[in-house]
Amino acid sequence: MASLSEEVLLVLKKVRQRKQDGTLYLMAERIAWGPEGKDRFSVSHLYADIRCQKISPDGKSKIQLQLVLHTGDSTAFHFSNDSTALKDRDAAKELLQQLLPKFKKKANKELEEKNRMLQEDPVLFQLYKDLVVSQVISTDEFWANRLGDTNNSDSSLSNNKQEVGISGAFLADIRPQTDGCNGLRYNLTADIIESIFRTYPAVKQKYNENVPHELTEKEFWTRFFQSHYFHRDRINTGTQDIFSECGKQDEIGLKSMVVQGVKNPLVDLLSLEDKTLDEGYGVCTTMPSTSNRTVKDSSNSAIIKRFNHHSAMVLAAGSGKGETAGDPASETSCTDGNSRDSDFFQPPVKKAKLQEAIEYEDLKKEKKPKTIPLNLKKSDRYAHGPVPLQSQHYSTSQDIINSLNYIRHEMVNYKPNLTQVLCSTTASSAIAALSPGGVLMQAVTQQAINQMVPTDVQGELKHLYAAAGELLRHFWSCFPVNTPFLEEKVTKMKSNLERFQVSKLCPFQEKVQRQYLSANLTGHLEQMLQTAYSKFHVWQTRRMLRKT
Amino acid sequence: MKLNIDGLLVYFPYDYIYPEQYSYMLELKRTLDAKGHGVLEMPSGTGKTISLLSLIVAYQKAFPLEVTKLIYCSRTVPEIEKVVEELRKLMEYYSKQTGESNNFLALALSSRKNLCIHPEVSALRFGKEVDGKCHTLTASYIRAQRHSDSSVPVCRFYEDFDAVGRQVPLPAGIYNLDDLKDFGRRKGWCPYYLARYSLLHANIVVYSYHYLLDPKIADLVSKELSKNSVVVFDEAHNIDNVCIDSMSVNISRRTLDRCQANVDTLQNTIQNIKETDANKLNMEYRRLVEGLKEANVARETDVYLANPVLPDEILQEAVPGSIRTAEHFVRFLKRFLEYLKSRLRVHHVVQESTPQFLKDIFDKVCIDRKPLRFCAERLQSLLRTLEIADIADFSAITLISNFATLVSTYSQGFTIIIEPFEDRTPTIANPVLHFSCMDPSIAIKPVFQRFQSVIITSGTLSPLDIYPKILDFRPVTMASFTMTLARTCLCPLIVGRGNDQVALSSKFETREDFAVIRNYGNLLLEMSAVVPDGIVAFFTSYVYMENIVASWYEQGILENIQRNKLIFIETPDAAETSMALEKYQEACENGRGAILLSVARGKVSEGIDFVHHFGRAVIMFGVPYVYTQSRILKARLEYLRDQFQVRENDFLTFDAMRHAAQCVGRVIRGKTDYGLMIFADKRYARADKRGKLPRWIQEHITDGSLNLTVDEAVQLSKHFLRQMAQPFRQEDQLGLSLLTLEQLESEEMLKKISQIAHQS
Repeated sequence: MASLSEEVLLVLKKVRQRKQDGTLYLMAERIAWGPEGKDRFSVSHLYADIRCQKISPDGKSKIQLQLVLHTGDSTAFHFSNDSTALKDRDAAKELLQQLLPKFKKKANKELEEKNRMLQEDPVLFQLYKDLVVSQVISTDEFWANRLGDTNNSDSSLSNNKQEVGISGAFLADIRPQTDGCNGLRYNLTADIIESIFRTYPAVKQKYNENVPHELTEKEFWTRFFQSHYFHRDRINTGTQDIFSECGKQDEIGLKSMVVQGVKNPLVDLLSLEDKTLDEGYGVCTTMPSTSNRTVKDSSNSAIIKRFNHHSAMVLAAGSGKGETAGDPASETSCTDGNSRDSDFFQPPVKKAKLQEAIEYEDLKKEKKPKTIPLNLKKSDRYAHGPVPLQSQHYSTSQDIINSLNYIRHEMVNYKPNLTQVLCSTTASSAIAALSPGGVLMQAVTQQAINQMVPTDVQGELKHLYAAAGELLRHFWSCFPVNTPFLEEKVTKMKSNLERFQVSKLCPFQEKVQRQYLSANLTGHLEQMLQTAYSKFHVWQTRRMLRKT
Repeated sequence: MKLNIDGLLVYFPYDYIYPEQYSYMLELKRTLDAKGHGVLEMPSGTGKTISLLSLIVAYQKAFPLEVTKLIYCSRTVPEIEKVVEELRKLMEYYSKQTGESNNFLALALSSRKNLCIHPEVSALRFGKEVDGKCHTLTASYIRAQRHSDSSVPVCRFYEDFDAVGRQVPLPAGIYNLDDLKDFGRRKGWCPYYLARYSLLHANIVVYSYHYLLDPKIADLVSKELSKNSVVVFDEAHNIDNVCIDSMSVNISRRTLDRCQANVDTLQNTIQNIKETDANKLNMEYRRLVEGLKEANVARETDVYLANPVLPDEILQEAVPGSIRTAEHFVRFLKRFLEYLKSRLRVHHVVQESTPQFLKDIFDKVCIDRKPLRFCAERLQSLLRTLEIADIADFSAITLISNFATLVSTYSQGFTIIIEPFEDRTPTIANPVLHFSCMDPSIAIKPVFQRFQSVIITSGTLSPLDIYPKILDFRPVTMASFTMTLARTCLCPLIVGRGNDQVALSSKFETREDFAVIRNYGNLLLEMSAVVPDGIVAFFTSYVYMENIVASWYEQGILENIQRNKLIFIETPDAAETSMALEKYQEACENGRGAILLSVARGKVSEGIDFVHHFGRAVIMFGVPYVYTQSRILKARLEYLRDQFQVRENDFLTFDAMRHAAQCVGRVIRGKTDYGLMIFADKRYARADKRGKLPRWIQEHITDGSLNLTVDEAVQLSKHFLRQMAQPFRQEDQLGLSLLTLEQLESEEMLKKISQIAHQS
């Protein structure tokens, strides 16, 4: 056996893999399978490589366990021991369930990150293929710069990444389904659990306290759904319920939210009324006292409270920090403990809100710089560009005569401003440059290139540009060369560039020539490389001089 | 722009004007010219406030002797502050245009709670506590004690104000509540008393209704305001209820118990004083004999409690002999208290008129009418004499004595109902004596009589003719203005049926019907999928909402709604609701979208606007009738029928529709705003209901949208919302619903404008 020193946690016989009988070993760090009668493993996966496990549904004739690896490959094991197949499978599953998460955390984060980056960015992926796979530069070199970038921006990136809010109805999504025999089945996903935790921190706390030492995860959720905390409107079933505390905590949370008061004075119902009538005055001040409310009533009002709390929590969870950090205005009112003292801070908010409330935007002249609206007489002409004049738009002969007369009249009165004219040579060269075929008019022919060159060549050219750009970026980023590391790097990059030219650019040039494509497609690329080389030479000679 | 309103130069601080604003100003000018009262209805969001202010300020500048003061009454503190900000804008425009610095003094007045700057006092949470604490620091005898004993705490802000604040009037300017506080802090003067003092010479005063309508406060604050003032009641659609509230009293057994404690305290205090300082009581007695009460009332800080009856009802004579001495008065109070206790021991409902009550009290405990009338005043005098600082503790006995004065002063317009238990819980004894005012005109009458012009205005005052009836006054102008629109930005739909053709209604018989509740749920669910951002839904009452929410929860409708939007629900607790409201706005703001379930007649429906994306649709579940089984309401309906010839049903429908209109009107706050208004009850289709909606809503209800199913309503909404989502620019409005000065002055436009006002 490969390494007997390894601790074997579980051995399962009669497990088939690829129609071959064998034995499954679960060891401390890997899972392995060897065909019957051979003393080496034909399948061996480190736990760290395993992304997840899947099992065949209950009731299926084949009892299987599938391992999916990070690479995307998967291996399936078929438990074929008739009597104990199910038990075997479950034993393997349970053990894996415990083992995998431990290794998951260890799994190479960086690798994942790289993988993710390559997947998210097709250009980068292409670059990777061009440079690394074809061994122009090494993987490390490729990533050295990249990851540096990402690491710097990483923290901000992950912060910038918008936090996903919580659906308001996540509890509705866990509709219980009857399983046919007097039981209910709740389907929980990781998302829902996360939602529950974010919305009800008290439950999360309970979870951390009780799982896994007191309860298994399953038991925990079973209790959660049985608890009156979930069915809050129902009457409390027992006091030993672990969630009864959560209910209380939520109540406290709600109260503290209420006590904190509101920042917007326009929605503060408490200070709305200016002079409330004293107790005893007024037509109907006798509110039904709370004592003689029926049980039903109070359960109804509990529902209402719960909805308010739930929505507030969902909102807070969605807006990130929510009320914990909040903006300075809320902090002041928190620290003061009473809202009246924060008087000094209130007016700006209040003023702004009041101004907002009395504003009639349409009565005012718009203050913003007046933009000139695009006045299109024929919007289709704007959309489709100029089209040949329709015959009915031809001018009448009278018009032509008129305009001719007009031009003649203009010409008669024309007086050249001789101090500001060009000399005749410059003028003629300018005319030549602007005539078709001239220097400045070449763009016209250039445009045709994307029709002349087949698309595959175009694509290749693009990739070459990207790769060259990347290499050149590396190269130029070394300047000014002021550390030995950079010196080393710049020489390496130069050789990389040369290698690139030989292994990538030259074949492409040949290919282009083979296809008799006249235009010098790679000219610019070469030019860029030459610039880099000359820069390198200048640097090198200067260094030599300094050394001598 | 400068406008010519019927010969008056009006500065209007905007470059454009809505046609209806011009029309509104014309009507207003006519009212002021005639020195009469007016009822004007103009949709919310058409710049009512700025039109009012522009015209009245121009009028004041043009005829400074005819209109000396503008008293602008609004309902809520934010409203008051908004008005002052608009005024500030106007005044800035004035000084920019004319180049003169502004010589107007305008200020907002609010209760101590909103104006106090004393560090300890202002930290108190409730208005009553602030008032009480203020009184303990500023009462005249406390300050007198301070002279001899400097350890007695007083309020330094009031002291400073009293020492120097009165000599120089407040410099001209616009003072909002915060400005007053700033000014007070800078000078070290009490902003509250400064504001109250400055009321007298201010050109414009903005405060809440109570300062004019509640006799207990009006007597203190608004007594000396000049007769040629113009009074504006904005958002006046509920003015009758404010009037009634300020004159009504409820007495429960708890009140009586606390009152008993108060009487005992009084008795002990009198006993103590008698032993130590009998002279004081004798002085008071002599003062009362001579009827010299006025001389002492002059100190403003002492007048903490004023007479609950209207000024012209207060007797100008000396306190009758039977209650002149302190002991006699306390004994008198005790007797009265015992009588009330015996009345509360009934086992069946009693309803009687005030003369009946007075007769009964005379028969049983030999209390005459006249001493009862002096009860409130006598108590004030006693509390002052006994130097009881914390008057907040004596609220129960004040209530009882106010009741005594009210019941013996008014023989008409009031009713007394004693209920031994609540209707919903007949087994639990909870006796309450309701002394309820049925005639809103009683409280508002002095306002109409005293001031030359009173303008009642709101976005929803339909039908206009009912207000003059129930408030008993004769207006010179009554007009309702429509909203000129370049695009139909409101879409009222009446949903009368569910998809299964079940008639939707909140009427009593079908209120518990499962099918109706389910269909209501479907309506909300479907709407939540179609409407962007915020939806506000109103229910007819809190109990009804609770029941519906519970059964929606059981049917899983709410969970499905949560897929589309977050749900927030109004609760009876104001702080909790504020929190929910803020979260609701946050959810609308960040794009998640939310639904607010709320109650018609609740605080949200009365005070909160849902502009733009905060409310793209409002759904009115049912017709918000008031609870009709209440005896107080029945008595009031009867009274209305007998006195003002208003039929019960007319009034009930009017009341329901004005609340419905208030609710749905919350979403449209301007011409650039848009919103759906869904009336989910088939009864809205009836002409008597529909006809009572404001004209600006009514005219957009098409015959085709009178009895829609849920699906049809969703289709129409989709169409409407898609249309509204197109860009809407100023140019689209110009010339139609938005005018430049030149456009306004064209002959054709003036003709059109004259049709906007709908006289009734």
